[in-house]
Formats: sequence, C-alpha cells, structure tokens
Amino acid sequence: MRVLSSFINGVTRLNDFLGRWFSYLILVIFALLILEVGLRYIMGAPTVWTNELSQLLFGVYAVMSGGYVMAHRGHVNVDLLYSHLSVRAQAWLDVFTSVLMFIFLFALLYFGISMAMESIQSLETSYSAWNPPIWPVKAALPIATALLTLQCLAKLLGDLAVALNLAKPEDVRLELEGDNEH
Amino acid sequence: AQADDEVIKWKVQSHWPGSSSSYKDSLERIKKVLAERTDGRLQLQLFEAGALFKAQETFNAVSRGIIQMGTISPGYAQDKLPLAGVASGLPFAFHHVWEAVYFHKNMGFEDKLRAEAAKHGVYYSTDKIYPTEMVLKKPVNSWDDFTGLKIRSSGALQKFLTDAGAAGTYLPGGELYQALSSGVVDGAHWGASQGAASMGLYEVAKYHVKPALNIAGTDVFIVSQKALDALPEGMAKIVKDSLEEQFWIRTNQYQHDEQIALAKAEREQGVKVNVLPDDVQKKLFQAAQKTWDKEAERSDAAAAAVKDLKKFLTDLGYL
Amino acid sequence: MSIEILTLLFFGSLLLFLVLGLPLTFVLGGVSVVFLYFTWGFDSFYMVASQIWGTMGSFTLVAIPLFVFMSMILERTGVANDLYRMMHLWCGGLRGGLAIGTLGICAIFAAMCGISGAAVVAMGTIALPAMLERGYDKKMALGCINTGGGWGILIPPSVMMILYSLITGVSVGQMFAAGVLPGILLMVLTSAYIIIRCYFQPHLAPALPEDERASWSEKFGALRAVALPILIVVMVLGSIIAGITTPTEAAAVGVLGALISAATYRKLNIPLLKEASIRTFKLTGMIMWILFAAHAFSAAYQSMGAQTLMEGMMASIPGGPWGIIVTMMLVLFLLGMVLDPVGIMMITLPVFLPMIKAMGFDPIWFGILFVINMEIGYMTPPFGFNLFYLKGVVPPSVTMKDIYGSVLPFVLVQLLGLAIIMMFPEIATYLPQTLF
Ligand code: NA
Ligand code: NA
Repeated sequence: MRVLSSFINGVTRLNDFLGRWFSYLILVIFALLILEVGLRYIMGAPTVWTNELSQLLFGVYAVMSGGYVMAHRGHVNVDLLYSHLSVRAQAWLDVFTSVLMFIFLFALLYFGISMAMESIQSLETSYSAWNPPIWPVKAALPIATALLTLQCLAKLLGDLAVALNLAKPEDVRLELEGDNEH
Repeated sequence: AQADDEVIKWKVQSHWPGSSSSYKDSLERIKKVLAERTDGRLQLQLFEAGALFKAQETFNAVSRGIIQMGTISPGYAQDKLPLAGVASGLPFAFHHVWEAVYFHKNMGFEDKLRAEAAKHGVYYSTDKIYPTEMVLKKPVNSWDDFTGLKIRSSGALQKFLTDAGAAGTYLPGGELYQALSSGVVDGAHWGASQGAASMGLYEVAKYHVKPALNIAGTDVFIVSQKALDALPEGMAKIVKDSLEEQFWIRTNQYQHDEQIALAKAEREQGVKVNVLPDDVQKKLFQAAQKTWDKEAERSDAAAAAVKDLKKFLTDLGYL
Repeated sequence: MSIEILTLLFFGSLLLFLVLGLPLTFVLGGVSVVFLYFTWGFDSFYMVASQIWGTMGSFTLVAIPLFVFMSMILERTGVANDLYRMMHLWCGGLRGGLAIGTLGICAIFAAMCGISGAAVVAMGTIALPAMLERGYDKKMALGCINTGGGWGILIPPSVMMILYSLITGVSVGQMFAAGVLPGILLMVLTSAYIIIRCYFQPHLAPALPEDERASWSEKFGALRAVALPILIVVMVLGSIIAGITTPTEAAAVGVLGALISAATYRKLNIPLLKEASIRTFKLTGMIMWILFAAHAFSAAYQSMGAQTLMEGMMASIPGGPWGIIVTMMLVLFLLGMVLDPVGIMMITLPVFLPMIKAMGFDPIWFGILFVINMEIGYMTPPFGFNLFYLKGVVPPSVTMKDIYGSVLPFVLVQLLGLAIIMMFPEIATYLPQTLF
C-alpha cells in the first residue's frame, strides 16, 4: 500500500507541478497578441511571427493540460448513475470503463510517438513565412499523453485497491490545492 | 494484385472544401472517369477538406498507406519534397499559364517532383496550373500605395510581400472575410477570381490585381504507391493516364472559369481590375528574384530548378 | 456491416459509456478508436492522433483561454459581483430580473466572440454563483446560462457562419446580418419565458424584498459598477468593428480591459494573476480535451460512411418541400444531441444543400435554421458542449442531473423560435436583403 500511495502521490504532484508552470503560458499568449495588434495598428508593421508563435504555444498549452486536469479530477463526466452507487461499486465501474480510456490513450501514445519521431528526424518546420521548428510542439502530444496516461494509471490502481477493499478512497487520492473550486 | 472482378475502394482526402469548384470539377471528375474506365471496379470515396486528415497531414497519411489517395498543395509537404517551394510558385516568374505548363511538363520539372515523392512511396501528379492573384480594398497606383498595404498572405508569398515592402500578415481563412471587411487588412489572396468569389472577398474588396503574384502547379493529386501496386493488371496505368489527361483538361478549363468568374464579379459586384503600374511591377520583379535565390539555397535540387527557371526566363526575354 | 447498424452501435456505445460515468473525452476518444479498429484497421488510429494535432493548431480556439482568463479576473476582483449587485438593485422588483440580465450579458458576449465555449464557462463562473446566492432556483440559473452561452454562433461574428458560407458559397456578410434579428428573437422569447414562468412561480427567481429595494441614489451609485464592464465591451467590440483586431485578437483586448479593471479596483497583483492563470488552465484543458476527442469522433463517423447514410435517408422522404425541411430539422436536432456541430455540418450540408436549392429555398434562411439547430445541439443531452462546460465550472452541489434537468423548457423555447423563423423567413432575410 505504501508503494501504491507514493506512486499515486508522486504522479499527481508531478502533473500538478508541471501544470502550474504551463498555466503561465496564457500570459505569454496574451502579451503576444496585444503586441501584434499594437505593432500592426499603431506602427503599421505586423510581424510574421507573433500569431504563429501564440498558436504554437496554445497547442502546447492545450495538450499539456491533460494530466493536470486529470490530477484535479477536472475531466467532466455524467454522474447520473454514479451518485447512486457505493464507493466500492463506483471503483469497480471505473476499473471496467477504464479499458476504453486506455485503448484511446494507447492509440494516441502509439501514433503520437510515431508522428513526433518522424517530425524530430526531419527537424520539421512549419514552412510559413516565419518558418519556425514545429517538432517540439508535435513532441508535446505524446509527452502530454504519457503524463495523462500515468495519471490515469494512478487512478486505476487506486480504484482497484478500493474495489478489492484494500484501501479507502481518501488513501488513494491526493487532494490538491484548488480541487474544490474552479 | 487483387482478383479481377473485385471492387476496390479508395479513401481520398481532399484539401478542397465541398463547395470549392475544384472539388466538383477535379475530384468528382476523376472519380467518374476512373469508375468508367475500370468498369466500376475502382471506386473513390471522397472526403472534404479536414474530414479525416487536415491538409498538412494528408501527404503523411498517403505516404504511410493509411489512405490511398489525396489532394494537396505542394506547400503542405515541404519537409518531404525539397522542390515543393519551387512548385508552390516563385513570385513574378511566369507571365502566362502556358509558360508554367511548359516548365512543368516539357522541361522535366514535374518528373523531378515525382522522383522526390516516390522516395516516400507516393505517386505525384499535378491537377492543374493556375495563377494566384490579389484582391484589394483600394487600388495600387504608385509604389507608396503598395508599401502601405497590409495583406493577408501565407507561406512564401507572405515573406515575399513583406520583403518587397508591404506588410504581409497571416490570418486563418475563417477570419479573413471579417478582417478584410473591417479593415484589419487591406487585401488578400485566396487563389484568384474563383477563390476570392467563393470566400465572399469581392463583397468587401473591390479591386482585383493583375498581374498574378505567381503561376504554379498549386493543386496536386497524391496516390499511395502501395495502393497502385495492389491494383489488378493494367489498372495502375489507367489511373496514371487519367491523371495525366486531367492535368491538361483542368488547366485549360480553370483559365476559362477564372475569366468567367472575374467577368461576373466586374458585372455584378462592381469589381475593377487594378493593373499594377510599370514601376511597381519592375520593383516587385527585382524583389522576387531575391526570393528565388533564397529558395535556391534550400537544397541542391531547388538550386538546379531555379537555375533552369532563370535560363528559361532568359530565353523568353523576361530576364 | 451497414452504416445504419454501425450508427446505432456507435452512438449506443457513446451513450452507454457516458452513463457509466467515464469522462466525456475518454468516451469520445475510446469509442472512436474501437470502431475505427473494426471498420478500418489499426493504422487508422493515426487519424485520431492527427485530428488532435489539427485541433492544437487552430488559431480561432486561442480565444477560449483568453475569454476564460478575462472572466476569472473579473470574478476575483469583484467587478462581476458589483455588476450583479447593480442589476439586482435595478431589476430587484422584477421576478427573474437577474436571469434576464444574464441573458443580456450572454448576448453581449456573443457579439464579442465567434465561438460558444468561452461564454458558457465565463457565465458559469460569474453569473451562476451570483444568481444562486440571491436565491435563484438551480435549474432556472443553469438553463439560462446554457441557453445564452450558445448564442455566440448565432449573433455575429460567428465562426460557424463563416464555415457555413465556405461550404455553401453564400455571402458571409449576409449570413452575419441574417443572424442579428433571430438572435434578438431568441433573446426576447427566452426572456419572456423567464418572466412568465417566474410570475407564476416566484420562488424560482425571487424579487428583492420590498425593504431591501434601493433608493434612486443607491441605484445610481451602483451604476458605477457597469463602467468597467462597459469599458471592456467597448474595447473589444470597438476593436473588431473599427478594424483594429480580428475577433480572436479581440479576446486579448478583453483581457487587457479586465487587467485595467483589476488595477482600478486595486486588486492587480501577482497572486491574482497566478490564480487566474491556473484556473484558466484547468478549464481550458477540460474544454480542449473534449474538443480533441470530439473531432476524432466526428472523423471516425465520417470515415464509416455517415454521408452515405444521409443520402439514403433524404432520398426516401415523402411530403413535399415542407416535409423535407421539417425532416431535415429533425435530423439536425437528433444529430445535435450526439455529435459536434462541425461534424454535423460536413455530414449533412453536402446532402441537404442541393435539395434546398432545388426546392427554391433561400440558403441564407436555411443557414440560420441550421445555426439555430447547432446552438440547440450545444444545449441538448446527452452530449452537448455547453452542458459539459457548465459541469466543469459549477460547485459540487450541482450535479449533471441538475444540468440535464434544466434543459427541457429552454430547448422548447429555442425550438419555438426556430419554428417562428421557419414560418416567417423575413426575420432572417430582411436585414441581409436591406443591407446588401
Ligand atoms: Na458571436
Ligand atoms: Na447535444
């Protein structure tokens, strides 16, 4: 049990930590767009790079959120049936439905890696006027999927422990700051 | 090869939206032609832009054999095809469509592209060659008018327009109309007349600029070599021959349709043709040559192609 | 296997796993992958990864985190609360006044933003707690945000209308103009519903008690609270209309306005920015992962031959032009329950439009009917983006059952609006014909 809860806590803290840093990208995206508007409207000199850079950063921002949102149990679901079940029944149900979840994550991981490797090998660029490298953004997809998969694995192991009556739900879930607000 | 009487279905990812004239005139045409010539044994299943793969991913999907066929602009496969930059159109190189056609077909440029694509298991066949032309909210009558423009552009042309002194800026297609309407930008290019009309640009930009920014083989069919090899005896040749024939029919037809679209815009929407003054054209031609030289630095193949091009233009008396 | 049976199994599995409580993004993604495996093979999973990569590169979506960020700042600095206090003082005597005020703010949001997700999350954050605090019924408050939040695609600017124009070849400007009156109609109808319902059932949206009603000087004093929100609206709308920014960039102008507001309230500091950033990240992540999987889901359905199904269905409808139009509306409504709007567009329009044109109907009018159907699709269970975005922001005391339960009367009101526009096409066609 100790090993299990330290795995769960470790993964959750990792995603929480990374998420906090990635969340500041919104400030960068905001600054870039305002800069572009200013340069274009006031100076009459739009740049070739601000909009594209903010779009690339947004891609990283969006995809990297997966693990963080999972760590905070923020991926929404329908709780119609759920709320009528006992804690153990909920855990069993989650173990069962997680099969579908892992199938999705596996497909994403497999071809995300394949896409990223192809991109890294050719050091792919966007071929726009600015032509920045886009392989780091493509690489973000499998990295983010891996982080999300780890968090889902932590949840699965926790659910199994609860389902088999080896642990209580609160033992296999790390409560994080900000979990009960939005 | 598969049994002779079996129906073969190919998934075809287009880079044209369903409403685009090319979706009907190019894609549905080739579907019909191939069905006829194979007695219905080769069926193309068409998908609109983005339905399965977005345009930038279509070459990869065909190369991996996940779908059998697609249409792209060569610009979407620049990381795989070093010559794609030249193929997507060097600015202010050709004056007439036939010149670009001659360069492609008679001078062997398309064969070189085909060889590059073949390395990735893809058969490359140009759908048509056509011009890319700008529409503007206000006409250009002097060099100052040109350098004061903010133009929605993309890729190599955006770089060219900016280097030449205007302000090229990228906006996604979905925001183009709004941006042009409110004056975020003064002009844009989306194909030529038919493209501008399909995006509603003539509603808000009344000047159609000539000459073309470039003339190039910007629409291309790509076919998975694996899928071609799996066809029954003789059918691969039917596919290739039909695509070759398509190039000639569509390139000619497209010029006709362009003129019709422009005439209609002039008649019904009050669009005026703005021919760039001679000094503006001259300055743009000089700026363009710098862009060609930069494109030539990209690879040995590109350098050779640009060299061929310069020789051709010299022979024609343009350089 | 035929596409009819595949369709049943495909959406049946979606429904099953939704009810079993698996998060939506995994249901959409997982069902897509499983069905792709059996209809196309292992390699097709590449399409799922590729669709997500495509969604990551969509510049228009950048507006979502920016508008969410703006709302988070407005909420935490107290601007939003002051705004609702002001509305309560002014409309205090009117039952349901806050709900109608909320609809008004939704309409303004819709005029600022071409997509709908950001508005729902923003209003869920700002308006829902404000209404609940003042004794409003959960379902009334939820339903009104669910409805108003979807107007972003009907009131211009609208990314959905631009897509429709691109697919059909009608004028974007005319589509935009056509959306204005139907948008106002839906707002009037929804407000009327709230007023009538709350008149008979006052407990749903209590008026301010007599003794708490404000004097005129208090009312005018509270008006200061609207100065900053109005500043933001003017900045955002002004920059779009004056041609300073595109709608996506305008979202950044909205953030700038929110930062100015925070500074005016003397609340602009590092902890505020940190907190707003992390909350925005969590909500945007929730939205984006749903979109990632939803796009894969649509692509999977299309690859199975959804369009063939449409063609087959539409070929066998009796009942003349109006029978066909009504059937189309029904198909769109049903698809809206289970599929995302862009997917619906790609599946249905290539089949519907030639028929619409052949029957002599105005494609602009049909476009408005289409967009309203998509707006309704955002709010209908089991799969409606608005519902899930709301679920992502509501306090734990509000369950999905509450949210689903709030939908019905509001959908009926929107359907009434749809029917009115079907009967009186001028509501949609008057402005575009006058202006162009
Ligand atoms: Na809008
Ligand atoms: Na729905």
